[in-house]
Amino acid sequence: MPPLLEVKNLATQFTTRDGIVKAVDGVTFTLEAGETLGVVGESGSGKSVTALSIMRLLQEPQGKIVSGEVLFKGEDIVKMNDSQVRSLRGDRIAMIFQDPMTSLNPVYRIDRQIGESLILHKGMSKKEAFERTVELLELVGIPHPRDRARDYPHQFSGGMRQRAMIAMALACDPDILIADEPTTALDVTIQAQILELMMEMQQRTGAAIIMITHDLGVVADMADDVMVMYAGKQVEYGSADEVFYNPRHPYTWGLLASLPRHDVDEKTCLNPIAGQPPSLINVPPGCAFHPRCTYARPECRVQTPRLLNVGGGHLVACPYSSEESPEACGVLPRGAGAQ
Amino acid sequence: MTEERHHPRDHRIDGPTDVGGHEVRTEATTLPVLPGDVHAYDTQGTSSRTLWGDAWRRLRRNKLAVVSIVWIIMIVIMTVTADVWVVPLFGDPLAVNTTPGSNLQSPSLEHPFGTDKLGRDVFSRVVYGARVSLTVGVLAVSISLLIGLVLGALSGYRGGLTDTFVMRTADVFFAFPYILFAISLIAVLGPSYRNVFIAIGILGWPSIARVFRSSILSIKENEYIDAARAMGASDFRIMFRHVMPNAVAPIIVYGTMSIGGAIITEAALSFLGMGVQPPTPSWGLMLSDAKSLMFVAPWLTIWPGFAILTTVLAFVLLGDGFRDALDVKMKD
Repeated sequence: MPPLLEVKNLATQFTTRDGIVKAVDGVTFTLEAGETLGVVGESGSGKSVTALSIMRLLQEPQGKIVSGEVLFKGEDIVKMNDSQVRSLRGDRIAMIFQDPMTSLNPVYRIDRQIGESLILHKGMSKKEAFERTVELLELVGIPHPRDRARDYPHQFSGGMRQRAMIAMALACDPDILIADEPTTALDVTIQAQILELMMEMQQRTGAAIIMITHDLGVVADMADDVMVMYAGKQVEYGSADEVFYNPRHPYTWGLLASLPRHDVDEKTCLNPIAGQPPSLINVPPGCAFHPRCTYARPECRVQTPRLLNVGGGHLVACPYSSEESPEACGVLPRGAGAQ
Repeated sequence: MTEERHHPRDHRIDGPTDVGGHEVRTEATTLPVLPGDVHAYDTQGTSSRTLWGDAWRRLRRNKLAVVSIVWIIMIVIMTVTADVWVVPLFGDPLAVNTTPGSNLQSPSLEHPFGTDKLGRDVFSRVVYGARVSLTVGVLAVSISLLIGLVLGALSGYRGGLTDTFVMRTADVFFAFPYILFAISLIAVLGPSYRNVFIAIGILGWPSIARVFRSSILSIKENEYIDAARAMGASDFRIMFRHVMPNAVAPIIVYGTMSIGGAIITEAALSFLGMGVQPPTPSWGLMLSDAKSLMFVAPWLTIWPGFAILTTVLAFVLLGDGFRDALDVKMKD
């Protein structure tokens, strides 16, 4: 029995006027039913492009998957033709977008939009689709779902729209739900509600979730596995516990150190990672993170680090932070990785 | 409300954004299902289910738009039925009356708008003039729409070379002074009623193409288009179900306003002698004939002028009404 989703060595590039952008470079992971994978990284680290590649939603011909496999239940999505991919989208793999304000078509009422995938994939009649929509809206906690189903999107608040988006994504009972920063555009109280709703839905439907976010708190709450990305590459991958309590990559340390901590009483400064993420057209040679890495050695400029298994499926793309180089681990920034 | 920021308004033609008095509903941000949730929206079940039904309802609330519709319908009815009542009551618009004293009569019961220098009834000519103006307006805009929509859609969907070619051609059209271009076109085609609307129609397409292209482009970038793709919709479905309905509103608005513009251009061309030829009654032609008699017989300029003004205004205000009515944000 193949895993639900297996991504092997995925590489996606964009051709732009300035050159080739290596947006995703060699991403590998597996996802089982009911699991949640958190994908974290700065803006432009390739998180969203990874998701779009899995769904084959890249803007062609500029964006292209240049190598790798995306095996969904053993079948390679990369090799599928358009109609095969379309029958997966929305039905088996669904996506929730970042901005609920613009993700709903303003000219259609909510029920039409949620019902569209039901009519498309499940062959329901309009009436059946409406009934199912009402059910779904109720499920995601929209009050008076029968009345509100006939509202236009602009009559919904941001949180309600994101709930409607979740209802839309869950309409066909997908195997995988890809959430691309689903809470970024919402205010904090609503964020928590939406995350809770997603977890509840996951328990109910058994869907796997790929949660793309730059909010480490969200990942800590939800994810079983965590993948940290930098400059289109995977720098650390492992179970959430491993990555949070035993982080190995200097970039992950940096991310964790730049979080405000409310369990520390004294007022301390945040430790941001110095510098900017590199342009993906001119990725620094060797380890892409070396210009910003406090622990960089001369070798880092030359050798491209490979993902090393440091035990228990915990992969790290930094040869000097594994057990062989205890001095690197010894200088772990204060607070990072600590309990 | 924050939603305002996210609405792709850039495709809309400028002008007053909101006619005042649209209610900003304060929505409950409390999300868990509340048993006795107080909601301000109507549950009376009177709301129609379609986009167009809603638009029509909103249009009816706009007084200026309603007055405009009534005015346009009235003119259409008057001019269509003119053979039945105008001719017997006020005389044939073409019948020259050479009886001394019958020309340049000031308004009276018999001739409510007076008579012109050839003794023809001005009211009758104004009513018949509406035929020319309305047909030219509608036909010219239809031609513009036909060319403009096809080229605009092509340009917006395809992009690339097609887009460059279409848009640069449009730029060339824009580079010519409008009236001069119309006059030279007419000079080539020959001045006639038919050639007037062909010329105006040909000159009108670049604006339509631009408006349509830009709204397609801005709509294509919306996340709901990505969402539709992520939902498994085909390109065809996305184009016709998700892009078109959003792109069509500005076209309806612009098209309606263009009818007014086309009527003005027709009047201008006829005034310059490059449009409708005498003795066919046309508002522009009537103004042209009357210009030397402006102080002797002011009614000769006032009535056709009034007709042009009110008709054009009606189309522009109606267009404006459509703009508000087709904006789903302006709900009740």
